[in-house]
Amino acid sequence: MSAPILSVKNLVVEFPTRRGILTAVDEISFDIAAGEVLGVVGESGAGKSLTGAAIIGLLEPPGRVAGGEIVFDGRRIDNLSEEQLRSVRGSRIAMIFQDPLTSLNPLYRIGEQLIETILTHIDMSPSDARKRAISLLDEVGIPAPETRIDAYPHQFSGGMRQRVVIALALAGEPDLVIADEPTTALDVSVQAQIIQLLKRLCHERGMAIMLITHDMGVIAETADRVAVLYAGRIAEVGTTRELVHNPQHPYTSGLMSSIPSMDGDSDRLVQIPGSMPRLTAIPDGCAFHPRCSRSLERCHLERPDEFTVNQSRVACWLYDKDAPHD
Amino acid sequence: MTDAMVQVDSLTRLFDVSKPWLNRVIEREDRRFLRAVDDVSFDIRRGETFALVGESGSGKSTVAKMVVGLLQPTKGDIRIDGVNLADPAQSESMRAMRRRIQMIFQDPFASLNPRWRVDRIISEPIQAFGLESDDRAISKRVAELLTLVGMSGDDGRKFPHEFSGGQRQRICIARALASRPDFIVCDEPTSALDVSVQAQILNLMRDLQQEFGLTYLFISHDLSVVRHMASRIGVMYLGRIVEVAESKALFKQPSHPYTRMLFDAVPDLKMSGRPHQSVEGEIPNPISPPSGCTFHPRCPHVNERCRTEIPEAIASGDVIVACHAHQEGRIGKKL
Repeated sequence: MSAPILSVKNLVVEFPTRRGILTAVDEISFDIAAGEVLGVVGESGAGKSLTGAAIIGLLEPPGRVAGGEIVFDGRRIDNLSEEQLRSVRGSRIAMIFQDPLTSLNPLYRIGEQLIETILTHIDMSPSDARKRAISLLDEVGIPAPETRIDAYPHQFSGGMRQRVVIALALAGEPDLVIADEPTTALDVSVQAQIIQLLKRLCHERGMAIMLITHDMGVIAETADRVAVLYAGRIAEVGTTRELVHNPQHPYTSGLMSSIPSMDGDSDRLVQIPGSMPRLTAIPDGCAFHPRCSRSLERCHLERPDEFTVNQSRVACWLYDKDAPHD
Repeated sequence: MTDAMVQVDSLTRLFDVSKPWLNRVIEREDRRFLRAVDDVSFDIRRGETFALVGESGSGKSTVAKMVVGLLQPTKGDIRIDGVNLADPAQSESMRAMRRRIQMIFQDPFASLNPRWRVDRIISEPIQAFGLESDDRAISKRVAELLTLVGMSGDDGRKFPHEFSGGQRQRICIARALASRPDFIVCDEPTSALDVSVQAQILNLMRDLQQEFGLTYLFISHDLSVVRHMASRIGVMYLGRIVEVAESKALFKQPSHPYTRMLFDAVPDLKMSGRPHQSVEGEIPNPISPPSGCTFHPRCPHVNERCRTEIPEAIASGDVIVACHAHQEGRIGKKL
């Protein structure tokens, strides 16, 4: 494995409120290698989008990075000034948002938006930038890019608009793209096209993707490795194949089996009781223990360490070999 | 169909999307209509779950709204237990029918009144239909309903914002059950929920169906959810039903090219390495749908006839398919 392009160590994101500090992301660590797709999966409120926003420096105040470090290409980026961060954001790390309608300016032709982005990051003449914009649109699969470049966002369908957003993200030749629910607003048939496109770009450009989604199906199709988040903490990190076929953490296995199967005939779905705790009421010990069917006494008291199980990293006391068994 | 509870016959709904009158006069344009639902027919048998699947804009929610009477059909009939919803001569029996039809909506955050306590929300249908008269009986019934959906009787004193999405959807289900209905229309009941919570709600809905012999019309875009819930499935595309079949048969042997494309596009969760056919194009604008079969611009089996002639829905056995290529035997069996 090559050196990681992005390395996140013990990242903490906090929100100070009138009733005290809420910890939305709590000591998360992971690496992304160059050219790799890391899936970040979790239910709503698990902290996956905040992790993405923290990496690219787009946390909305009062949210703040309160601890840990983010190392991108050998350089710490979590303590950069806004000015320094600009040289990284867009050109080295780009972002794709969930809703293509809100990430494009409706008043400008898509060509203008693309050319502006290209000129911000790359030193070239406006006519070269236009040529580049056309080739980017072609690369993301927009038919007749020479004419479509002068269209407005509303003249595109949802899937085509998301392709334009991807072209915008590629404009600065980034090494890492953070894609936050890139297919959630799309229909399945269009989702399949966008997944294909992301995989192709990753392959052709050697670009790393951090794919944030709640949909295990999208992860299984796209990601090389997966990090499962629960209540702002990592429950399990491993290769996608291992995680899909052989989930270790009780939350991951519960999550996997609660998804209705396309070919199974089971009458009842396996269900995890309860729902994810609110940030104001994260339980002591392991955050998952009130919903866990296999919880031990120490799960109520001590936050689990991470253990290595079959190449996966699992934060669960069940895998503590040194624990006294009785 | 011997025991059809709901019969929908050539249902059509147009929406007026014309420009304002003055613009039409100046620009010499005619009125424009969006054909949201076009000649849709199906039956729902007593005690079964009939699902409508399709992508956004296929008209499935419009059908649901017409079936419960929230929208008037432009053309066509809906009969529930033989009572025609639109027939003024039957309005008396229609009023009695109202109690028996309920609906569960997609967004449990928008479908509960934030200013009402949960017990008032659930007791409203009981009072509206005059099912119980004195207050003690009503509050007993509300507590019973809350227990039924897996909540505690004390939760009635709380407001909707005190609950999570899954619990709110349970409250919506309790409200739907309050009038003792036998037919419930569920419009994307779990789309706003996380998977682990979705499993709880789907299990609950199945349990309730068995306990009370409910009939469901289940609207969803999620094929795996539909596969899990439905006994029969209708696949919709641009306002038309392209295929109706038993759930098991449909997943084993989809006949219509659109159904096949849809199944193929679903992400492969098992990572079995199933090869994907590349999916072409997107659902067209329903204001100006393609001529002939509306799926023809995306269909791999298209020929001249598909471009001009609208295919009729033809039944063979339990399967109904509206496709020229299928009827002419131009499509091979899948695998």
